[in-house]
Amino acid sequence: MVSAKTTIINPMGMHMRPAQLFVKTITPFGCDVTVIANGREINARSIMNLMAACIKQGTEIEICCNGSNEADCLKAAVALVESGLGE
Amino acid sequence: MRITDLLRAESIQLNASPADKAAAVDLLVALHSKAGNLTDQALYKKDILAREEQSTTAIGCGIAVPHAKSAAVKRPGLAAITVPGGVDYDAPDGQPSTLFFMIAAPKDGGDTHLEILSRLMVMLMDETFCQRLLSAGDVTEFLACIDQQEAEKYPDEVPAPASAPEQAQEQGYRIVAVTACPTGIAHTYMAAEALEKKGSEIGIPLKAETQGSGGAKNILTRDEIAGADAVIIAADKEVDLSRFDGKHVLRVPVAEGIHHPEELIRKAPDAPIYHHTGAVAQEEIRESLGRKLYKQLMNGVSHMLPFVIGGGILIALAFLLDDPSIDYANFGTNTPLAAWFKNIGGVAFNFMLPILAGYIAMAIADRPGLMVGFVGGSLAVSGATFLQPGGGSISAGFLGALIAGFAAGYLMLGLRKLCDRLPRALEGIKPVLIYPVVGLLIIGLFMCVVNPFVGMLNNALYAGLASMNEGSRVVLGFVVAAMMAIDMGGPFNKAAYLFGTSTLATADIAAGGSGVMAAVMIGGMVPPIAIALATTFFGNRFTPEERKSGPVNYIMGLCFITEGAIPFAASDPLRVLPACILGSGVAGALSMLLGCASPAPHGGLFVFPVMHNVLGYFVALAVGSLVGMLLLAILKRKKA
Repeated sequence: MVSAKTTIINPMGMHMRPAQLFVKTITPFGCDVTVIANGREINARSIMNLMAACIKQGTEIEICCNGSNEADCLKAAVALVESGLGE
Repeated sequence: MRITDLLRAESIQLNASPADKAAAVDLLVALHSKAGNLTDQALYKKDILAREEQSTTAIGCGIAVPHAKSAAVKRPGLAAITVPGGVDYDAPDGQPSTLFFMIAAPKDGGDTHLEILSRLMVMLMDETFCQRLLSAGDVTEFLACIDQQEAEKYPDEVPAPASAPEQAQEQGYRIVAVTACPTGIAHTYMAAEALEKKGSEIGIPLKAETQGSGGAKNILTRDEIAGADAVIIAADKEVDLSRFDGKHVLRVPVAEGIHHPEELIRKAPDAPIYHHTGAVAQEEIRESLGRKLYKQLMNGVSHMLPFVIGGGILIALAFLLDDPSIDYANFGTNTPLAAWFKNIGGVAFNFMLPILAGYIAMAIADRPGLMVGFVGGSLAVSGATFLQPGGGSISAGFLGALIAGFAAGYLMLGLRKLCDRLPRALEGIKPVLIYPVVGLLIIGLFMCVVNPFVGMLNNALYAGLASMNEGSRVVLGFVVAAMMAIDMGGPFNKAAYLFGTSTLATADIAAGGSGVMAAVMIGGMVPPIAIALATTFFGNRFTPEERKSGPVNYIMGLCFITEGAIPFAASDPLRVLPACILGSGVAGALSMLLGCASPAPHGGLFVFPVMHNVLGYFVALAVGSLVGMLLLAILKRKKA
């Protein structure tokens, strides 16, 4: 398992479009992805769970990838968050 | 920002069937507009469609959450539709969408949008919740589901139960309210709570009466209404307003009470003054006492019913399986098989009146009443007196059991009141020692005082019948048959039956038997048949439960099992008894007139073959039953 910390920078936080993008980005890698935010562990392969977590701008999150291509997946996920989740 | 606060009843539409994505958007936007969330419907729709251009807002699992932050949004809000048939909303999983929540968020709303979205997701992740929403029968139920789910997921926000009314009681309430909704489960109480809470928050004491499915709670008193400045009626069903004659009355849907309690409280004193037309319900206390007595009575009757039906059918089977020619006097127990059925049925019948009395008493005095009422009913059946504590020969019948049940209940209620004065230390021994022992003593004394009168009545009646034997046989037939129906097992019935069997001793069995016996038997057959006919042809005079148990009375009537009529008579004695008595009397008189006679004391239809002038007997039975049925139809009120 690999993990890294990063911070949500886009003003609207993890709302629907960023969540959709996040799920779309990590799914092809085929590994399990967990996001830890506000002290809770979230299954990041589920768009509902991501939105339910209510992750606002400025929240520090930890992304954990476990399984095939985990290192590549983590790199892609962190890059996406740092780029502002497409916003 | 609670979902319940954002979603109004008017912005929900259940069971919609939009043809496509565009139609679904149109419908949701229109609902937002209807709820007053938008300043510019067209602009908001444009923003929604622009958002859909970027990517679909369907998230799979049948859920779609279209949304837009828009300058056209006046205040944040939600609109919802359910589409049981599903509509293609380009969901990522390719499934049709069935459940839509459209978010309207103001342009500069900060995190509002994300918070609403997050909250929706937390709730919608629960699949059974989604199913409940989809199957909600009406908007009220839909909202109640949401409120329940939100309270479950965000328990910290649930308002604490208001303890405010107690504090306010001394200086009276400035506003009184009544809340009600058609189902009376959730919204009635949510509205009452919202109003009372808001009232105490803004320093205006408010009391809200809830007219829910369990009856009215927290009922407003006459003084409270008189002392209030204004009245709020937050209800989606008819509420009796006669109490509020001359007050400022604000009438709104129940949802208003939930969503805008403060507005209502502020507006209520400016509402128009209500003038009631028609009679003002004066006797609120007496009316409720009548209903209370009826409910207590019905508690006994409904528990008794299975005993009557089970026992009655088994006894009828006993007659079917027996041969009357073996011994007329013991018909029903001549063969071992018949005797078995008759005895087992008889055991159920023996419980009938104790159950009736016991459950009446229990409805009045709760658990401590059950034993006392049960024993009281038993004593009524056995006819116990001080001289014959083991039981006299005269049962007080079902009227006696009714007296026993109500007496037991109210005596126990009195006993409990008296026991309130005992030291607290004795609290524990009340239910295990004081109530049972003292209660049993009291009911024993009471019934032993009542029963001798029943016995005296019985003797007097018997003597009266004996003297009538010399007079008109038609009148005698009328009287004995009518007596059979008066108390269906009590002193009247027993006197008539005993008199009937006594005439058998001197009657010429070979010539068909006794005319009086035939009249007695027909008098006991008419009540159940008349009631069965009435439930068949005038069903609207009966409760659904009565209608269902009605047909069994055909069998019991034909078998001369008068007890079948008791549940009906007990639940409405003042209307059912006169009808039965007259029907029976007419049948008895006709039976005498036509010269019918019976050699057997029991058996009904099964002894018809050995009777004299069976055809005439049939005619008498039919006429008497029809008379009884028609009287029932006339006397009994139609049920709503």
